[in-house]
Amino acid sequence: MSENAIVIDDVTKIYSTGALEVQALRGVSFTIERGDYVAIMGPSGSGKSTLMNLIGCLDRPTTGRYTLDGIDVGTLDDNALAAIRLKKLGFVFQGFNLLSRTNAIKNVALPLFYAGISQREREKTALAMLGEVGLGDRGTHKPNELSGGQQQRVAIARALVNDPAVLLADEPTGNLDSTTSVEIMALFRHLNESGRTIIMVTHDPETARYAKRTIRVRDGLVVSDERSDTVPSALEVT
Amino acid sequence: MLTQIGPFFSEAFAVLLGNKTRSLLTVLGLIIGVAAVISIQILGKGMSGAVTGVLGTLNDRSFFVFPNSRQADVFKAAIKYTDIAKTTSLFPNIVAALPAGGVQRLMTAGHHHARLSLTSESDIAFATVPLIYGRNLSADDIGRSAHVCVLANNGYKRLFPDGGDPVGTSVRVSERRFIVIGVQGAPTAGIVPTNFGGDVLIPYTTFVAEFLRTRPLFAAKFLVRDPSEIGATEVAVIKYLKSIKNGRSEYQTFDRRSFSSSIDGIFTALTLVVSLIGAVSLVVAGIGIMNIMLVSVTERTREIGVRKAIGATSGQVLAQFFIEALLLSGVGCGIGLVLGLAIGAAVDRFALVAISGVVPEIPWVQSVVIAVGFATIVTLVFGTYPAYRAARLDPIEALRYE
Ligand SMILES: Nc1ncnc2c1ncn2[C@@H]1O[C@H](COP(=O)(O)OP(=O)(O)OP(=O)(O)O)[C@@H](O)[C@H]1O
Ligand SMILES: [Mg+2]
Repeated sequence: MSENAIVIDDVTKIYSTGALEVQALRGVSFTIERGDYVAIMGPSGSGKSTLMNLIGCLDRPTTGRYTLDGIDVGTLDDNALAAIRLKKLGFVFQGFNLLSRTNAIKNVALPLFYAGISQREREKTALAMLGEVGLGDRGTHKPNELSGGQQQRVAIARALVNDPAVLLADEPTGNLDSTTSVEIMALFRHLNESGRTIIMVTHDPETARYAKRTIRVRDGLVVSDERSDTVPSALEVT
Repeated sequence: MLTQIGPFFSEAFAVLLGNKTRSLLTVLGLIIGVAAVISIQILGKGMSGAVTGVLGTLNDRSFFVFPNSRQADVFKAAIKYTDIAKTTSLFPNIVAALPAGGVQRLMTAGHHHARLSLTSESDIAFATVPLIYGRNLSADDIGRSAHVCVLANNGYKRLFPDGGDPVGTSVRVSERRFIVIGVQGAPTAGIVPTNFGGDVLIPYTTFVAEFLRTRPLFAAKFLVRDPSEIGATEVAVIKYLKSIKNGRSEYQTFDRRSFSSSIDGIFTALTLVVSLIGAVSLVVAGIGIMNIMLVSVTERTREIGVRKAIGATSGQVLAQFFIEALLLSGVGCGIGLVLGLAIGAAVDRFALVAISGVVPEIPWVQSVVIAVGFATIVTLVFGTYPAYRAARLDPIEALRYE
């Protein structure tokens, strides 16, 4: 297996809605190593979400190659893509997207359910995962009984519960106030320091500062790709 | 891939329980439809059981003829015994012609008196009631107009209230003595007496000679040789009687077979109507379930997107919604089954048993088959499309759904 978690090679994405064609990605190439922490930035409509959807195996590129954890994803059918999402990827959304009817443990356990793991095992693992994001005592709370930051932590626990190769987050702090955002970023930092590969889309330069590397896109092209030296440590957070 | 189905059921249960009122209202149509069809099935079965119970003791070799009650002059339609006696030689299928009904007489046995009905009977009994003592009338008794009698259970109880075997003792009617040769058992329970025959049965030849004389009779009872020809014989007898009255009187017949088949006919028609109502309510209920499932799929579009993003396959999403539909219709049909059985059994118990004394068998298997069949059909026909809609959703669009 390669050292690279993700290899994107000259990927394009064209949306055709009727007569109109939108070139959302015009040929993007980059490589993300295992253990890296990447922020993707760019103006609205530049193609960040499109890129995340491709990396997340929710969509397929129009042309180009995408290799995830050594697997050429382009050759896979829908069920195989679902299996990749289940085992190799974890999603964190801007709007948390928890199931409102069910409590935190069940939400976190959901991927394990689809992985066919027994209920006892599921709840045990889910509870441990909640502990890891600092919500060990909130397992039986429903999403509406949790703060926004806590909900996002539950979502992060859910994304991590299957021990994925890559954690994907599209504007994870977009719905949070600045204090809570900092908490979530501290959690991300901590997760990255313990070896998780993270890719995060953000508008906010402050948030992007927590990442080790920033890829900027504009009009469907990568315009810059730089490593930052001044990464704030998790302890620096106030 | 569907690694396990079980967890999907508990998931689906949680969803439906989270929406109790809605779920219940959705399946109400199904409950009513299934309950109606099942209770009418039970009732149909119970009814034919009851008919058998009431008519069970009647043999299929006899029929009654009586004047149609809806005619201008019923009295004119009365027949002479000599006319019906002739039928035995006119129609080869008729073995014997008896005056039907009886006469009320004061009777005495020992110190006990009672006013009872004296009835004519043949050696082929109209009803096969089991005897508790002695024997039935024989051809010889008929042939020689013997002064013997068989006591129906009521007659026995009134004349011999102390019980015991009365065979060989005599019953006095007016100045005549009849030797008791047999005693019938009690008729099967129920409010319709299965003993059509009267209280004291004597050879019809004796009855005609000594009690009927030239009095006209309203009804006659015929015994036939071949029960399969009974319908044709009845028609011929009616025609013959009408010809005697120059076509001015109307008659009708009654026999076991035509009676039970007319009741069966009524019930077949009723069952058909209720089945149709059931089928209609099935469709209405199915559409209701499909509608609520489609609403549910729309409401939960984001949830479906999340599930797919997390790694659920289309098949797993399909299974989830399909099982929700299955549970809805399963619960509906289950409640309908219980309700239908309860209604059917209650009607059986409180109405039919009282009438016939027969406890009808509940068609368990048939009822369960109906309920399971309904649930399967509703799920397959109306649950598949919403589940398919859910499975087909594009995760990206579903996640964007507000
Ligand atoms: N399903 C789609 N059909 C057609 N065009 C689309 C679709 N999804 C995205 N686009 C277009 O592709 C382009 C890139 O969209 P994308 O959502 O990737 O932008 P973004 O960088 O995430 O923007 P934002 O910061 O506002 O979220 C936009 O012009 C958008 O209109
Ligand atoms: Mg976006």
